[in-house]
Amino acid sequence: MFETSSQSPAPVRVVSEAIKEYVERLGPIWIEGEISELNERSGGMAFMRLRDTSVDMSLSVMCYKNVLAAVQPLPANARVVIHAKASWFTKNGSLTMSAKEIRQVGVGELLARLEALKGVLAAEGLFSADRKAALPKLPRKVGLICGRNTDAEKDVVENARRRWPAVEFEIREVAVQGAAAVVEVSEALRELESIEDVDVIIITRGGGSFEDLLPFSDESLVRLAASCETPIVSAIGHEKDSPLLDLVADYRASTPTDAAKRVVPDIEQEIADINKIRDRIYRRLVSTIDYELNQIAQLRNRPVMKDPSVMVKVRVDELNALRDRSKRGFKSLLEIEKKEIKGVIAHLRSLSPQSTMDRGYSVVQSDDGKIVRDATKLKAGAVLRIRAAKGEARASVLAEE
Amino acid sequence: MAAKDAKPSYEEARDELAEIVESLEDGSATLEESLKLWERGEELAKICQEWLDGAKKKLDAAKKPAE
Repeated sequence: MFETSSQSPAPVRVVSEAIKEYVERLGPIWIEGEISELNERSGGMAFMRLRDTSVDMSLSVMCYKNVLAAVQPLPANARVVIHAKASWFTKNGSLTMSAKEIRQVGVGELLARLEALKGVLAAEGLFSADRKAALPKLPRKVGLICGRNTDAEKDVVENARRRWPAVEFEIREVAVQGAAAVVEVSEALRELESIEDVDVIIITRGGGSFEDLLPFSDESLVRLAASCETPIVSAIGHEKDSPLLDLVADYRASTPTDAAKRVVPDIEQEIADINKIRDRIYRRLVSTIDYELNQIAQLRNRPVMKDPSVMVKVRVDELNALRDRSKRGFKSLLEIEKKEIKGVIAHLRSLSPQSTMDRGYSVVQSDDGKIVRDATKLKAGAVLRIRAAKGEARASVLAEE
Repeated sequence: MAAKDAKPSYEEARDELAEIVESLEDGSATLEESLKLWERGEELAKICQEWLDGAKKKLDAAKKPAE
């Protein structure tokens, strides 16, 4: 290129010519996108914007009217492939693609691509059941992404309010078809995902043509939805339509009304359930208390508690029994002693000289009580005691032998 | 009621009462102990009864406005 500085700047025309030369060296290329802002001017040219289907980027495109006429009539937001070359307009420094050929991308081809994408995403496991998060029982806030002023929005809001009057919504009204849909839905989804108390997000739109629903099969949107932590409910189109978003959503609602039913509980049902539970608790408690009352009554009715005098009576009986036993014990001891004494007396008696003396013998004792066994040793005048069988007498020795 | 430390919970009172009745029934305690046990048993029985009567009253009071 060329050197420039603040002292020697290049004039606009030089720069613009240089860009033109550079741009026009690019050969013709094939580009796919969606047509919007189609503008057929009075001259021989038609102008339009070719938008990317996933992100907010577009190119300005121009062509001869006959090029466009070859594919007319085009539906709104038609998906096309163009063969074009970049052109630089030095007059205002704008870049426009000059299309030599425009081809509509057919439904069949789109379907085939969707199937291929579905296969890729499925292989990555994005649709698998274990990725599905459970919907909250009662979300603090419900995020709702829908078209502006649509029946789908009304259906969701009204049905949810009917079931749970206190339900709170964070509603984002966005384009739900056309080139802007993917961008706006994605933006809304990111925003709602970032709001802490949005516990579930519903993405909904009514039925439409295959092309209308295409944004909801966009790869970037589907991947974004898969990456969201917040559970997502999709309610797109009718039962038969199955955009890829349905497959990646945590719950696929058949209709907006169904989505509303899924995200909030029915207050009547909840009240009935709570009453049922209260009733069960009440009955359970009553039966527990009755059981315990019965237990306590039984304990109080046990003889030891009801008639504490039993406690004393048992001991009185015990005492009496002991007394009896001691009495009886003493008596028998006495008997034994008596018998023993009798024996001793008899024995004593058998040893006594009484019976001998009864036969006429007497016992002679000296004065000091010694029994006299040798009369030769007695001295005259000694005093003796004579004990007969009955009574005793004193005597003295008359003479020694 | 005797100014015992803290009022026992229902279960504590009931279990202690059951133990007291058992030891009174097996008759191993001395007369003096038995008398004390019996007094404690009466006290516990009253506590239990009060607990249960109170709980029932509360339940009945809570039940009425619900219907």
